[in-house]
Amino acid sequence: MARKSAQVETRMVSEYLLKYYAAYPTRTGVPLGSVDEKLMATAGYQKALNMSRPYRPEVDAIVILPRYLVLIEAKVWNVVNGLAKLPLYKALVPTTPELKEYREREIIMELVVGWTSTNLETMAAAAGVAVKVYDPPWLDDVVKRMHNYWTKDYQAERQRVLETRRSFGLE
Amino acid sequence: MPLGNIVILEEGVPERMHFTGHRITTRDITDPDTGRPGTRNVLEFDVDSLNGGAVSAKWSTMSEKLYGLLEPFLPGQVYRSYEFIITRRGTGFRTVYTVDKIPRPSAG
Repeated sequence: MARKSAQVETRMVSEYLLKYYAAYPTRTGVPLGSVDEKLMATAGYQKALNMSRPYRPEVDAIVILPRYLVLIEAKVWNVVNGLAKLPLYKALVPTTPELKEYREREIIMELVVGWTSTNLETMAAAAGVAVKVYDPPWLDDVVKRMHNYWTKDYQAERQRVLETRRSFGLE
Repeated sequence: MPLGNIVILEEGVPERMHFTGHRITTRDITDPDTGRPGTRNVLEFDVDSLNGGAVSAKWSTMSEKLYGLLEPFLPGQVYRSYEFIITRRGTGFRTVYTVDKIPRPSAG
């Protein structure tokens, strides 16, 4: 598919779920939090969920284990952002109508990252989040491309391309 | 919703499907916003079960996001060991999907 690299974290979370939770039900793109009760009463359950979707935060994935509910965020960049979200997302599970049947389960939080560091581990431990490193070979290519973006050579080449495009009236 | 032998995802309506085969093809499209013609890759699945009933249908998607979610299941047709519940919400660039992956009883 075109521009597959734009879906790096999507692919990452899907592969992670398949590798580590193949035998369990999983759900990706899960909206969290309550839905207005009046809206539910007037519009109906399903329609109220649809209408509320843009206003509800979304966790990358959940895994439904027999005794636990695992909340997963996958991050390649802005890792701390993903870490910070998880405890907040956990707080929303008890009010999420779609997860009503799993409310009694203990919640585990997992941050899936391509690499880790001492500082990240320290912050994660303080937040009660488990850091899971998942670094398939294709992730290295993505990271290299991203790192190259900031190099002098790449920026010079990018400038040359932009000037060429301008000279042809394409910019 | 099956239309003929094609499964269409209606907004907010979950569809539970089991896939038996897949292919990546191309489709000529006209961009609804710019009116420009173009070619897009399409991921197409053969569907033999829809919401618990036996069918002989196809479901396809041009969504890169869905491709990213389903791509790991393509090698070796791993998807045959699962049922997928796919729910579409929103339209255009704001379309989002919730995808449930449920192991079939025979899956390890």
